[in-house]
Amino acid sequence: MSVLEVDGLTKRFGGLVAVDDFSLDIEEGEIVGLIGPNGSGKSTVFNCIMGSYDVTEGSIRFNGDDITADSTHEIVTKGLSRVSQESNPIDLYSVGGNIKLFTLPNSIRSLHGGASDEEIYEYAARIDIEDKLEEMPDELPHADVRRLEIAKALATEPDMLLLDEPFAGMNQAEISELSAQIERFRENGMTMVVVDHNMGGLMELVDRVVVLNNGDFLASGSPEEIAENEHVQEAYLAGEGL
Amino acid sequence: MISTILLLGTVLATVTGRLGDAAGTVRQQLLLPIGQALDRLLAPIDRGLEPAANAYNRSLGRYFGTMSGLQFALIVGSVVALLTAGVWAPMVGPLVGGGLLRTLALASIWAIFAMSWDIQSGYTGYISFGHSVLSGAAGYTTALLIVHVDPGLSIWVTASVSVLAALVVGLLVALPTLRLEGPYFSLITFVAVLLFYRLTTAFSSLGGIPGFGQPDVFTWDPVMRYYYMAIPMLLIALGLTFMARSNLGMILVAIRENESAVSAAGINPTKFKIWSFALSSIPMGIGGVLLVGFTGNVDPDTFVIVDNSIEMIAMAVIGGMSSILGPLGGAFLFEFLNHQLFHGYSTPVRYLFLWGLVLLVLVFARDGLFRMIWHRLGAVGGESE
Repeated sequence: MSVLEVDGLTKRFGGLVAVDDFSLDIEEGEIVGLIGPNGSGKSTVFNCIMGSYDVTEGSIRFNGDDITADSTHEIVTKGLSRVSQESNPIDLYSVGGNIKLFTLPNSIRSLHGGASDEEIYEYAARIDIEDKLEEMPDELPHADVRRLEIAKALATEPDMLLLDEPFAGMNQAEISELSAQIERFRENGMTMVVVDHNMGGLMELVDRVVVLNNGDFLASGSPEEIAENEHVQEAYLAGEGL
Repeated sequence: MISTILLLGTVLATVTGRLGDAAGTVRQQLLLPIGQALDRLLAPIDRGLEPAANAYNRSLGRYFGTMSGLQFALIVGSVVALLTAGVWAPMVGPLVGGGLLRTLALASIWAIFAMSWDIQSGYTGYISFGHSVLSGAAGYTTALLIVHVDPGLSIWVTASVSVLAALVVGLLVALPTLRLEGPYFSLITFVAVLLFYRLTTAFSSLGGIPGFGQPDVFTWDPVMRYYYMAIPMLLIALGLTFMARSNLGMILVAIRENESAVSAAGINPTKFKIWSFALSSIPMGIGGVLLVGFTGNVDPDTFVIVDNSIEMIAMAVIGGMSSILGPLGGAFLFEFLNHQLFHGYSTPVRYLFLWGLVLLVLVFARDGLFRMIWHRLGAVGGESE
């Protein structure tokens, strides 16, 4: 069954067409890579799915629900969460506090709800930052800040995760480690879409790759097929390599 | 011309650089040793008070925030001082210019305003420049009910309707504006207070410039009057501190720091911003009702004028924004300076001093004086800063 169905998605900014009639179907339990050269519209697709941008045309369904016009917090509550490209922890709160914020109910009457310390520990342990709960975000190395972003997304108890360039700024060792951790989420039944601008971190991780170019669907297939696809190579020739 | 500007720039840079150095020297040579000496002096007291603080921490700390021994003593001491002011203030008053109970009563009302402003503006970062519209709405509702409906209405009726009016006006301002981001919210609150001020001065049915003199003061007995103001103030401080230390406070601060992160957490920021405004409007209304009972007069310059809105911000800034109790302390300091310490000076001179103080706090102690003291007291027991 499709968990996420993006159908004919179009996003225009004034006269600029950022995403043009793009469709995408994600099956339950899949890990799909969404790649494309810089400026190809990957992040715009995520922003449209998450309700950060208004969709110009097309529709988005999640678990059979039309979420095209929903706001971000409604989409998150329905079980779709995003790890954004920018890390934006709240520096006033510790790592544990930042995770706790993501477990609080969306209710003005819930004054002392949210996750217990044990539950927060569990979320952190799923991405191996459970020993950093007391630290402040600005004391953490880059890779741990990125992990905190993932822990926050996990704390919303999602059925599906959108990961926006999770490997950006990481070295090879850190990429392999994070890759293995993401692989573990799949074993627990998580469906995921991972955006990256090249195939580097994705080769081993994803079942299927979808390529965007100039806001348009370019190709889809297994990582090996995509690596050898001439059209994809051509699209990347203008910028950096695949 | 350009060379003059360059020269001026260089001079300014040098002078500020020197000032920075001097401040650094003062800090190292003077403040640090004093701080260390204070730590040595206070540490045993802190430890001595710890059992009491810990008993509190275990039972109520979860709801109102945990405290160190000294912090606990400061809170208990302040509450006791406020509750017994009816006894000691008439004796101490003559030493500081007299009329101390009146100042403390007025400070209690302003503390309510400053704390109410804080739970909305200080916590969410959506700064309101028009909060006096809310207390004004309550004050004018009381006056209009007495003048136009029935002078014999019970205080419970007029007060309830007045607080409700503050809430309604608050929602009228909040609902359309808090969806906006950036400076629009602040600008609209600012315009709202200008509009309300002109409305009250323009129409004689709204009292015009002299306002309404019919509402009666609660009492002429200064001791009773003080308690009429101080008890509601303490209850509001308790209620708002409870709210601020709950999930609600955590979410409001997160809105200030990063609103999109709040959405990403599955929480609706707009709902919480509107709720914080409502939560602020209710005590603003109560403060407005108390101000009627204090002055016995409802007029634009006592209730609505934009200076009032700015004054409550000043108190919150002096005490320390987004801490509830900081603005409470700020209000008492502000009023004490205004009506006791500076009482010999004319109003313009007093306010010149006061705004100068606000500027100094903004430049040198941005977290506010009472928050600074609070964290300093908290650090005594542990390793020093």
